[in-house]
Parts: sequence; C-alpha cells; structure tokens
Amino acid sequence: MSQSNSPEHDELDDRLMDQALREVLGGERPPDLSEKILAAAADRVMVAPRQKEPVMNKPKSLRRIAIAAVCTAMCIFLAMLITSAMVARYSFRLTEVFPRDPSPQTLPAPYYLRDGVDFFPSTAAPSPEGRGPGQAGDRYERVTENPFRLVKNQPLSTFSIDVDTASYANVRRFLLSDGRMPPPDAVRIEDLVNYFDYDYAGPKNNCPFAANIEVAACPWNEGHRLVRIGLKGREIENAERPASNLVFLLDVSGSMDSPDKLPLLVQAMKLLVAQLRETDRVAIVVYASSEGVVLPSTPGSEPGRILAALDSLHAGGSTAGGAGIDLAYRLAQENFIRGGANRVILCTDGDFNVGVTSEAALERMVEDRAKSGVFLSVLGFGRGNLNDAMMERISNKGNGNYAYIDGLTEARKVLVQQAGGTLVTIAKDVKLQVEFNPSQVAAYRLIGYENRILAAEDFNDDKKDAGEIGAGHTVTAYYELIPPGAERGLPDVDPLRYQTNEQPRHDAGTHRELLTLKIRYKDPESASSERLEFTAMDEGKSFDRASLDFRFAAAVASFGMLLRDSQNNGTATYDSVLEIASSAKGQDLHGYRSEFLEMIRRAKALAGR
Amino acid sequence: MTVATADRYAEMTSVVQMHQAVVWRYLRFLGCNTTEADDLTQETFLKLFRSDFEQRSPRETAAYLRTIARNGLLMARRAARENHLSIDLDAAEAVWSRAAAEDGLDGYLVALRECLEVAVSTRVREALDLHYRDGASRDEIAASLDLAVEGVKTMLRRARTALRDCVERKIGQ
Repeated sequence: MSQSNSPEHDELDDRLMDQALREVLGGERPPDLSEKILAAAADRVMVAPRQKEPVMNKPKSLRRIAIAAVCTAMCIFLAMLITSAMVARYSFRLTEVFPRDPSPQTLPAPYYLRDGVDFFPSTAAPSPEGRGPGQAGDRYERVTENPFRLVKNQPLSTFSIDVDTASYANVRRFLLSDGRMPPPDAVRIEDLVNYFDYDYAGPKNNCPFAANIEVAACPWNEGHRLVRIGLKGREIENAERPASNLVFLLDVSGSMDSPDKLPLLVQAMKLLVAQLRETDRVAIVVYASSEGVVLPSTPGSEPGRILAALDSLHAGGSTAGGAGIDLAYRLAQENFIRGGANRVILCTDGDFNVGVTSEAALERMVEDRAKSGVFLSVLGFGRGNLNDAMMERISNKGNGNYAYIDGLTEARKVLVQQAGGTLVTIAKDVKLQVEFNPSQVAAYRLIGYENRILAAEDFNDDKKDAGEIGAGHTVTAYYELIPPGAERGLPDVDPLRYQTNEQPRHDAGTHRELLTLKIRYKDPESASSERLEFTAMDEGKSFDRASLDFRFAAAVASFGMLLRDSQNNGTATYDSVLEIASSAKGQDLHGYRSEFLEMIRRAKALAGR
Repeated sequence: MTVATADRYAEMTSVVQMHQAVVWRYLRFLGCNTTEADDLTQETFLKLFRSDFEQRSPRETAAYLRTIARNGLLMARRAARENHLSIDLDAAEAVWSRAAAEDGLDGYLVALRECLEVAVSTRVREALDLHYRDGASRDEIAASLDLAVEGVKTMLRRARTALRDCVERKIGQ
C-alpha cells in the first residue's frame, strides 16, 4: 500500500480499494463454490495423483521448472477433468454406504459443476408474499403493534422473553440481497434488536442471568422517555459447555432443491460439526415423502462419518414433517444425556406441515417433548416457501430458538460464534413483569414482543410456557413512556359503576421509583420457578448521554418501526436513525453494525425518503 | 468411503471453506472477471487436491493456493492467446500479501466499512454509493451532484486515497 512509492504499487493499491468498495458498497461478494468444488473433488479422493503439483515451499525456480514440465500434461489432464466431471454430473456417487438416486432430475445442478456465473437458479423468485391462492409463498403472521396503555388502568405489563433473530436475517436478505422492502409483517422488532450483542454486565452469583435497566429521553418523541431492559445470560466457554445430544431433522423435500436451501444447510452443518467435541453426539434424520435415519447417533470424534452423511443428502419428494419429527425425538430420547443439551434441530424452508399432521397436533407434540427435556430449535432457509409464523411458533413451544440462515456468515454467527447460546439453555420459561409507578408514568408501550404478551396472572403460573435464554445470550426490550400530564388524547375507559379504582400509594420510599421489574425463570431441568426483582429510577438523562448500546439498540428499534410503517414513528426518519446508529456504533468486531448502517441506507433508497 | 478417505474429505472441506472466497477475491484482484474467477477458483482447488499437498499453516496454504491460481490464470490467458497480463504479478503479490495475507481480506473489509463512516464526507459518500452501489456513470454522478465530470473523477480518486490511508491506519500496515 502506500508504504511503497512505486507507481505500480500505487495503482495496485487503488485496484484493491476499488475491489473492496465493489464488495462493501456494491454487494459483489465471492460466490460460495464449496459444494461444486467438493462434489467434483470427492470422486478424486480415492484416486492417486495423476500429476504432481509443485510442493509447498520448494524454491521458486524449481516450482517454475515443475510447472513447465507438467504444462503439456496439464492440458491433457484438464480435458480428462472436464470429461470426467461431465460424467460425474450424471452418475456422481460419493459412497456406496449412502447411495443416491442417479436420476438427473433429482440431482440439483448447483451441487456439481458450473451451471453459469450466477450461483442461484435463473428461475424468477416467487413473491415474498406468496404466488396466489392455493400456491406456495412466504407466510408471515400479522403483527398488531402494542398500543400505549394507561398505567391507572393497566399498571402491569407482562411478557415472555424471546431470543430469536430470524426476522433480522430475513429483513437483511430483503434489503441487501433482493433489493426490496420487506413486508411489514416480516419485521419483528425484538428480533432486530436482539440480533446484536450488547455489553451488559453478566451475573455475579449463581443466578443464570443479570438484568440491566437504563432510562433516557426518547429520540423520536420529545417529552417521552425510553426504558431499556437488558438481560445477559451466563457465558459458557465451548470447552465447558455440557455434552450435546443433537438430532438434526432435515427437510430434503423438493422445495429444498435450491442453492440457498439444502446446499447452504449442508455447509452450515459442516461448520457446526467442526465445533463438536468427543462427548457430543449427532444424528441426522431426513424427511420428505418418507422419513429416514441418514446417520444414527454418532460421537463428535467421528467427523468423517458425519460429513459423509451430510454429503449423501439430496432433495426430492413432498414434505411430511410429522413422521420425521417423531423419529427425531425418538432418537434424541434413546441417546438422552442427563445434564446435557438434548435438542432436535429442525432445518427447513418451512413447508413443514403438508400431509396428515395438523399444526395444533404438532405444537402439542413439541410442547410435550420439551417437558421431557428434549428442546427444539428451528433453522429457516430460503425464500418462496418460508412459513415464518409456524417456525417461530413451534420453536417457542419446543423451548428453543428460531434463526434464519441467509448465508454462511449467518450460519457461522448462529452455529459457531453463538454455539453456546444456540445449544445450551441456561434458563427456561423466563417471564418479565413490569409494574409502573403511576406517579412517574402515565402511559407505556412495549416496543415489539407482540406475540409474547402474557396475562398478568400468567406471571405466577408455572404451568404457563415462556421463552428460554441460552448461554451468553442478551435479551433487550424497550418501553416508551409518557410522563404524567402528557397522556392527553389516549383512549380511556369509563369509571366503574360497582367499585372504585385504586388510588396511588403515597409512600416516601417508593414515590420516586419509575418501575419495578420482576423476573421469573426455571432452571432447565426444574418444574418450579425462581423470582427476581429490580427497581429503576429515572434520573432525567438525555438521549445523548445514554450509553452507546442504549442508543444503538434504540436506533435499531426505530428502524424496525419505520420498516413496519408504525403509527408510533414520531419524528424518526431513516436519516435520523442512520445518524444515531452511526454515532453509537462503538466497537464492531464482526462488522454486523456496519452492515446494519448499510441496511438503513438501502431502505432509505428503496423507500425514496 | 473408508474412514481414512472420510478424514481426507473432511480436511478438504475445511480447506475449501476457509480459502475459497479468498482465492476468488485474489483472482478478481489479478483482473479476472467474475466468470473467469469462478472457473479458476474451482480449478485451483481441484489441482490442490490432486497434488501431494499437506497443510502446515493457513498462511502457507493461502500462499500455495495463490501460486496455483496465478499459474492457472497464466495458462488460461495463454490458451486464449493473450500472452500478457496487464498486471505486474510480483508487485500484485506484494500488495496482496500486505493487505490480505493474515485474514484473507476480512480485516481490510471490516476496516473499510468503518472508514466509510469517518473518512469521507456525506457528499463524497453519496458519490461512492452512486458509483459502486448503483452503478452510475460519471456523467450520471456529475448530473446528480451538480459537478463537472472531471470533478467526479477527482472526487472518487481522492476518496479512494483517503479510504486507503484510513484502512492502513486501522489495520496497522
């Protein structure tokens, strides 16, 4: 770079910067050629080298001589390579142990050799909202935004935690890969906010998590206040995490025959296999027209067997998840590790419930199995068939989490960087209940978590299911508050005819408190809950003086509201969100926050404002 | 598939996953278009697996892959009767090694994302977005920003220089 003053070096430095800008701003990314390379190479593993390449670290002159010597042979060899590769396209068999259907119709072209510059098939992508009545399409559940609640009528706000991040990855794919705005119902604000790690203090005692509360001015509504509740789960190093008994339930139905589905899934799993230890066990069950065990429960000390099983997979047939999930749970129970992480991981594009199994029956089954200690996580893949709503629901019922894998980077985040959180549950049925002090707060609104709202009495009911928190997970929730006197215009209820409303208690000790946060949780193997309680005061902090994480996460929440076209956007614009997020980006070790800034810019350009 | 074969396959998988994006970027840096980079990346790994390659360190593996990729490019150009490359390969190797030898350009890209936030003005950033993100021509950028076409060229060149300086500082080159 500029250490060298020669014009050649300057020009090359410029060329490198040009290439990097094309990648960072223009979205030119290296295609994932792994599957193609490995498929073509697999046949050659058992074949002795035909012609030696220059050996590493030999003197340069020797390498040149060697290259010159093999140059003619290389041409012949390349011709042979092309011929044999063409044969491989139609008759590729990785192993006799896992034979494939040799029919070319069942072999998706992207598995094998080059099928064009673009790794994705040239067929038009279906509309994100579906193709029409009776046809497949992405399915999202309608999200009805939480309204402001008057504290005098409803002083308690109760909800279950949620550590899912699927919506963020899906929104990112809409904006950065597809170049279009996501449908509003695809945007779950809590998923967006929880996508990022925040520097919250962890627990200091035996408690599985710590709570962090911060209060500052609301950036999109002058006069309103913003409360952030942040939970931080206990960290567990990969070497210290309990042994895992994982059963992967893989959808290999015809709809998975797309490079961003089954091939990506296989790659994602290979990343996870690299994390396994000898004490971990992995089994693979597939489902399509019929279910089957591709890999019986196998110790992590045999990665070769696991990888071979993964490479034997191919897509074909219609989806019938019900029987597959039954088989997966049976395998998980048979290999149950007491004190370990026992989990079924469902990987699908979401068209899961075709056939005789009703959605309600599936949910009941998953809920029932979770009580026996086998949890369910869901990894969603691809577009055009994504049953987002159902995948989120069954992962909730199964005491697991739901992530959407839109590329290898996301796979690495979920299965490598956050393997502890994804695989190890440190507390289950985590419920939050906030009691607001009417002398400090007139009305409140929980931002996001719309499908996690609980009744006030559910908080103390240990039979009521709620969300789980994994090792090292952070969970963040924001409340927008209206101070007393500013609540005019909010809908109220008539005075009661047969009883009087309770009046605020004027206690000198509690008068200045803003709120009380109560948390209930259960240890993963316990049936009864523990209770924690925290109080918070409002010191009148301005937004600018709030912590970096508070400001960044508030920008993320505000961005989600803009994407949803929320009626509570206030004065927020894409520009104001970008300004806040840029100034509060802080350290960004993995580049996720910078990527978020790109998403804001792209959304602004697409929205034309 | 024997266990030994499976282990060899596992090793290949790990090498491909770690290095394939870097090899592709390197080939683009040497001047390949995307199609050519796709082809040569695949050929590079196939050649690697046919050789008596043994892994010593990721850095050595990356250097070895670059050698194969470079030779593959030269051979491809010769086959197309283009006997010269518009790039000094030794100088290219030196520049690439400084910027990407440690982490395959990942650190460079992370630093660049950060520099885009701090090292260029809003107006320059707009020009960069128009050029790299939207594929706008200099004429279009000039019209959009109310500048002379020559001014756009200068602005983009200076922006790249400022970004290079910033990235260098961040990755300590």
